[in-house]
Amino acid sequence: MIPVPARRRTELGLIFLAVILTGGLYALAGFGKAGSLPANIGPFLGTLFALLIAAHIALRRLAPLADPILLPVAGLLNGIGYVFIARLSPHEARLQTIWTAVGIAVFVGTLLIVRRARDLERYRYMFAAGGIGMLLLPLVPGIGEDINGARLWIHVGTLNFQPGEIAKLALAIFFASLLAERADLLSQGTKRVGRFLVLDPRYLAPIVTAWGLSLVIFLAENDLGSSFLFFALFIGMLWVATGRALYLGVGAALFGGGAVLALKAIGHAQTRVQAWLDPWVHAQTTGYQIIQGWFAIANGGLYGLGPGQSGAASIPEASTDMIFAVMAEELGLLGVTAILIGFLLMVGSGLRIAVRCERPFEKLLAAGLSLILGVQTFVIVAGVTRLIPLTGITLPFVSYGGSSLLANYILLALLLRLSHGAESEARSLPVAHEPLTARGADR
Amino acid sequence: MNRQIRGLGLGISILFIALFVQLNYLQVVHKTKLAANPLNRATVINSYTLPRGNIISADGVTLATSVPTKDQLKYLREYPAGSLFEEVTGYYSYIYGSDGAEAYYNGVLTGKSSPFKLPKSLSGLKNLLTNTNDTESITLTVLDKLQKAAQAGLAGRDGSVVALDPKTGAVLAMYSNPTFNPNGLVSHNPATVQAAYKAITATPGGPLASPAYRQIFFPGSAFKIVTASAVYDHDPTLATKPQPVLTYLKLPDTTTQLHNFAGSSCGGQILALFTVSCDTGFAKIGLDLGAKNLYDEATSFGFDQVPPFDLPFPVKSNFPTVSSFAGNLPTVAYSAIGQENVEASPLEMALVGAAIANGGKIMKPHILGSITNSQNQVVSTYKPAVWLQATSASTASKVTTLMESVVSSPDGTGVAARIPGIQVAAKTGTAQTGTHHTDDWFVAFAPASNPQIAVSVVIPDQGDLVSDQGGTLAAPIAKTVIEDYLGIEAAQGSSSGTGSTSSTTNQATG
Repeated sequence: MIPVPARRRTELGLIFLAVILTGGLYALAGFGKAGSLPANIGPFLGTLFALLIAAHIALRRLAPLADPILLPVAGLLNGIGYVFIARLSPHEARLQTIWTAVGIAVFVGTLLIVRRARDLERYRYMFAAGGIGMLLLPLVPGIGEDINGARLWIHVGTLNFQPGEIAKLALAIFFASLLAERADLLSQGTKRVGRFLVLDPRYLAPIVTAWGLSLVIFLAENDLGSSFLFFALFIGMLWVATGRALYLGVGAALFGGGAVLALKAIGHAQTRVQAWLDPWVHAQTTGYQIIQGWFAIANGGLYGLGPGQSGAASIPEASTDMIFAVMAEELGLLGVTAILIGFLLMVGSGLRIAVRCERPFEKLLAAGLSLILGVQTFVIVAGVTRLIPLTGITLPFVSYGGSSLLANYILLALLLRLSHGAESEARSLPVAHEPLTARGADR
Repeated sequence: MNRQIRGLGLGISILFIALFVQLNYLQVVHKTKLAANPLNRATVINSYTLPRGNIISADGVTLATSVPTKDQLKYLREYPAGSLFEEVTGYYSYIYGSDGAEAYYNGVLTGKSSPFKLPKSLSGLKNLLTNTNDTESITLTVLDKLQKAAQAGLAGRDGSVVALDPKTGAVLAMYSNPTFNPNGLVSHNPATVQAAYKAITATPGGPLASPAYRQIFFPGSAFKIVTASAVYDHDPTLATKPQPVLTYLKLPDTTTQLHNFAGSSCGGQILALFTVSCDTGFAKIGLDLGAKNLYDEATSFGFDQVPPFDLPFPVKSNFPTVSSFAGNLPTVAYSAIGQENVEASPLEMALVGAAIANGGKIMKPHILGSITNSQNQVVSTYKPAVWLQATSASTASKVTTLMESVVSSPDGTGVAARIPGIQVAAKTGTAQTGTHHTDDWFVAFAPASNPQIAVSVVIPDQGDLVSDQGGTLAAPIAKTVIEDYLGIEAAQGSSSGTGSTSSTTNQATG
């Protein structure tokens, strides 16, 4: 029998806590909305608990030394998300449960298939091709589909899918392996022209390529959010790999310039930016969503109206893009602050894993995956609160959406795999999951 | 590389801090402004999805209640009394906002203002979580039967009736014509609501304006109650000083002549002047008292102040400031008889009557009787409080004598308000608003020895100088209301009313 490391016991305790919190919230939302307990509270909590326990058991077997915080926090966010989706649309909530189950299955599958994170490095170009392919897939006539003016979706039969969600993971793997190999070159890429040091054009090639690709996403798919996420991922990883702040500056300038140029060309993005700059002028049209979101958020105040007690129906896309506004109205500043801290905990755990990893590829991959989680959360929450233009990307683990849940559970599995690897090496243990001998030896 | 990874952590933390700052801005700093934005219907729609407490009359008639519906706004507000109580209850419309008690007591009706109490039972805990059943109902001091009496008394004429309990300030009746049915404004069908609103605003007289406590009229001779009080308070010698019998008074520093009503002549001591409402006499008294004494008396009776009323936006009644009389002495004479720049709301004139009735004390006017919770338990009762000490008890009793004479004396202007067995104290007012237009007032209380009710009636802007006077038009209405409140058969009253009409037509009522 394999002894249980302390980390897994911590995780089990936190899973209990996450299920209890979700159950309490679901009960409150039921009371708030209908004055009674939700009819399916038992089966729902049972399912959530069973799914998280399945993931937990998989971790015990496959990555026993992995970080104990990530899975319970993700489960909690997923549970809170379900409560709000159920409160907005019972139909979507049923689908979300199925997607959560698929997500956990994929999570376990990822842990099973990827036994050592560094093995992924070998399939670098497959990930590159796959990632770019998936990013561009919605453009293929016949399967691509416009939803709300952005071409982010593919549909095969009755199944809709947002391949960009998976693409960002593939590209993170590709960037990590590329940069791990070329970091030294890229960090010295200057040459002297007269009295000035300038970037060698050769080393600018990757950044320009990435910029071009993000511009294509922007121009062809009208999706500022994914475009920014993708470009920020690349620039962020480039900076982590090279330590050259210059890349951050060049990246920001390129993205800014590209965005301004593209805005002149694209109607959808243009209206979104107009709605951002002055929603009040377009209060009944393009600014409607953001203004209704603002009203809802403000209505929540410090303590919120209470789960299930807001109107919520006046906000378009309440269960996906705008779910954060509904949460802010019902949970108040205190509630959504707690949720944001949940995301920050996950990002922080991810970055700690990056620090503890030994190999550049693993470090970069962990940092990149954490960056995706952090930036994506920021982009959608900042969009809803009108810090930046609103774009149609999801709040990880919380928003309704199958592709998003799937991708985020894969991301979680990869981070936990990296974590297990790092901890095993720190103890000079074999990376694979040979039986551990020391009980609680992970301090 | 670890340095950059930590930098990444710092960067993401900064982004999240920006989110926290923005959320604080939206949810705390900017909250009220966003909530007040006219585009923001979320608050109203949210409040429409919750029940609201009932509004009940003092005699137990339900005036406003919430009925569950199947549409998005889960509760429909209903006003079973229709237009009868509109001026008191107001309305609660999700398009046009709210007014009246619905607006003033919104916090109570929604339960938002009820103090937080720890739940003591399982159902109490459930109520706390669901926020559906902590609404409170309000019981008013206004009586259904007295509203009906006021409505019947006005008989379709435009005008206002305000009746108070002088000892507590409780409003017993407050009714104005024109009125409207508030049910039209609270429908959940926006087209119906807009059509109803359009019809209401198109009605001449502006029914939305709540004249009883939000409009001011020239009080005319009804203001002589205040002038007479000023005499006893500031210069009692004027009470016994006989004024010459005149048909007109030549005013100082000008060639203007102040004429008695309908060319009549009058004079004598204050009782005679008050009984027949002698304008020349009171104008002279006003000039003798001076602007300062009149102004002080008027403000102590509540003029130039917003009454502390528990309905939204009560109007301030006007008496000109002392300095405005400087170099313009004749206007003092006009102000003393309630003309020129003196304007009062029906509520204020009811308070003037109540001040005399209550030994000189004006109680805070209020419509709230008590608040009951959803379990029908009384949680709080209105506690009467003094607003102003208008005058002394001895002055009040002297002015009461004058006011009794108006009704009991054969040549009094208020004989139309005589009630057999009950001594009514009153003052008429017929203020000229144009060549052939008058605002007709009657301010009364009864029984004079132990006042139970004070009433003011105004019928504004009447055209016939002979038949339309305070004593002929307004007095019978006040009489009806007083009789109804004191439980006297109305049939007895009407005979004495018609019998005395002829004797009042020749009287000067200013």
